[in-house]
Amino acid sequence: MAATATTLPKGGFNFDLCARNEMLANKGVKLPKTTKTGTTIVGCLYKDGLVLGADTRATSGPIVADKNCEKIHYLAPNMYCCGAGTAADTEFTTNLIASKLELHSLATGRQARVTTAMTMLKQMLFRYQGNIGAALVLGGFDVNGPHLYTIYPHGSTDKLPFVTMGSGSLAAMSVFESRWKNGLDREQAVELVKDAIEAGIFNDLGSGSNVDVCVITKDNVEYLRNYRKPNERQPKLQSYKFERGTTTALTSDFRKFVDVVEGDAMDMS
Amino acid sequence: MGDRYSFSLTTFSPSGKLVQIEYALAAVNKGVTSVGLKGTNGIVIATERKSHSPLLEDNSIEKVSVICRNIGVVYSGMGPDARILLDKARKSAQEYKRIYLEEPSVMIMVKEIASIMQEFTQSGGVRPFGVSLLIAGFDDLGPSLYQVDPSGSYFAWKASAIGKNMINAKTFLEKRYSETMELEDAVHTAILTLKEGYEGTMAESGIEIGIAYLEHTTTKEGDKIQQGRFKKLSEPEIKDYLANL
Amino acid sequence: MEYNGGAIIAMKGKGCVAIAADRRFGIQALTLGTDFQKVFSATDKIYFGLAGLATDVQTLLSNRIPSPTPPFEFTSSRPIQSFFLKTKADICSEKFRMKVDMYHLREEREISPKTFAHMVSSTLYEKRFGGYFVFPTVAGLDANNEPYICNMDGIGCITTPNDFVVSGTAENQLYGMCESLWEPNLEPEDLFETISQALLNGVDRDAISGWGGIVHVITPEGVITRTLKGRMD
Repeated sequence: MAATATTLPKGGFNFDLCARNEMLANKGVKLPKTTKTGTTIVGCLYKDGLVLGADTRATSGPIVADKNCEKIHYLAPNMYCCGAGTAADTEFTTNLIASKLELHSLATGRQARVTTAMTMLKQMLFRYQGNIGAALVLGGFDVNGPHLYTIYPHGSTDKLPFVTMGSGSLAAMSVFESRWKNGLDREQAVELVKDAIEAGIFNDLGSGSNVDVCVITKDNVEYLRNYRKPNERQPKLQSYKFERGTTTALTSDFRKFVDVVEGDAMDMS
Repeated sequence: MGDRYSFSLTTFSPSGKLVQIEYALAAVNKGVTSVGLKGTNGIVIATERKSHSPLLEDNSIEKVSVICRNIGVVYSGMGPDARILLDKARKSAQEYKRIYLEEPSVMIMVKEIASIMQEFTQSGGVRPFGVSLLIAGFDDLGPSLYQVDPSGSYFAWKASAIGKNMINAKTFLEKRYSETMELEDAVHTAILTLKEGYEGTMAESGIEIGIAYLEHTTTKEGDKIQQGRFKKLSEPEIKDYLANL
Repeated sequence: MEYNGGAIIAMKGKGCVAIAADRRFGIQALTLGTDFQKVFSATDKIYFGLAGLATDVQTLLSNRIPSPTPPFEFTSSRPIQSFFLKTKADICSEKFRMKVDMYHLREEREISPKTFAHMVSSTLYEKRFGGYFVFPTVAGLDANNEPYICNMDGIGCITTPNDFVVSGTAENQLYGMCESLWEPNLEPEDLFETISQALLNGVDRDAISGWGGIVHVITPEGVITRTLKGRMD
């Protein structure tokens, strides 16, 4: 818009560098790695609502890029969304939809419905034909009750009472398949989700670290960040601090911050 | 020939006026009165909800609106014009958030809206917006209240009024306003100011109130944080205020 | 990334942060320069580094080597003034510099490290399907002097750990060094030793990084900048 049009980008992707990057790739420059969330993400319905769960490992190839990342993203006050796949894609896709949902609920004057979020997400992902690598578990509570969806990167969706996604989805699903039943209470559901995520953490190498849980009920969301920390790092027994002066510095300089006090205006006479 | 400058929006009159903008202000001055006050810990904006017919559904009118989480607005003047501005404002707040992942500051939002309104005083094929706005918000710098006029000019106020009863309301505010006033008192004063020019008895369905304030919350990491918020008062809340006048 | 090489680390300390980078500029195995800048200041209290393809580093950051320390003292409390001083004397740079300066002028305040990081991130994600080959690292103190560090992949996925971040071709070695050397609550001088040793020993096992290093330790009182002696092979 007017004031910021010249500086804030309007949104949408920019493909200017594609040709250059193709040229570089042909000359043998390796394309950079992106951060992935190997990931175990799950969700299940219970008596009064639903529970979402996620592990907290982000990977970059075989390297653990983040030991405690957040994979349960905010969408709306009554909706959260777990993301697996390319980390930047899950982050930006959920942010964009959260933004659209906020506008939608301001315009309609009521809380957005989960099916609206699901439709927005699948339409966006379908439009990009799977090139946006976001595999999502969407959960929320609206006027029609609790809803749980999975959304695949190509835009297909499922609506099920218990779902899993990501590289640890098989491990997590085995827990759900053996133990999920209708009418669980809150405590049982959280326990089940925790066990499903831990199955991913311990059996899938793409998943790891801690368990995040999010319990969504009518008019309430409980985000239990790091609900369980089964892999806490032991404190080091010894300090490896180097003695001051160990490192040879060729130049050294200190740029001090100073507070400028309001002075008199310049004499212009 | 005297009014040859009154048609083209972008033509100055010899005396340096853009009369269409003045006419737009006249439209504002025909609109329902709105007031805004700054308290030490928040801002209140309020307006009458006037229905010209008892057959009209009261709750179908919305004049105090949320722009984004920490900023709200009330207008005096032409409702349809205000709605267009509101849509644009909400969208640009979301654009800002998409880049910085942060709510825009009140000043940024005001500049944005003001520049949209200015654009409509200088473009071909359009007319100026027939509204003045009071924008209330709470950001890092604390609470602030701005007024934006059809010309696109904006001012920061401690207290202001726009619309039909503007002059009386401002005189009233000048007498009643105090800088040490807290938000609660500011809400009362805002209601009293509206009452001055109100025809008939004031009921909770007859006014709209919005407040910008500081909300204390706990993050999921367990840190206590404070965030600026804007919300509209519900009818029961307004009823309480009216009862305690 | 393997075309030019490079290594960048940022670490949190007690009320301070540090950011360090190697100084080599080369094309594959050929070393061309030993005073290449990969770390710049966005504001007085935010420094950021870009590892990756040198042409993109310069497009996004800088096309001029910073002049030696200016003789005057820098200000922190008057953003507008310090902004002018900095653009004149300190660094001249491209895309991010413009964005930070525009933010400064529009908002009439300093950008916070977190906001800056998200600005960088959304800039990168805009080019999701044909991006810059850079891996930004941000280190800074916010208005309350709370430490903030983060880094990103090439398309803007932010990671904000509580200890340290590394990027560049020496990434794997640096992870190892930092995991063993870093500990919580390091004072600025101790943080300097830790980050310097992590950098120097890390890049010694990377053929295309090294040739000395530069460290900035950002404290509430000021910024300590030191260049390090390293192997020149």
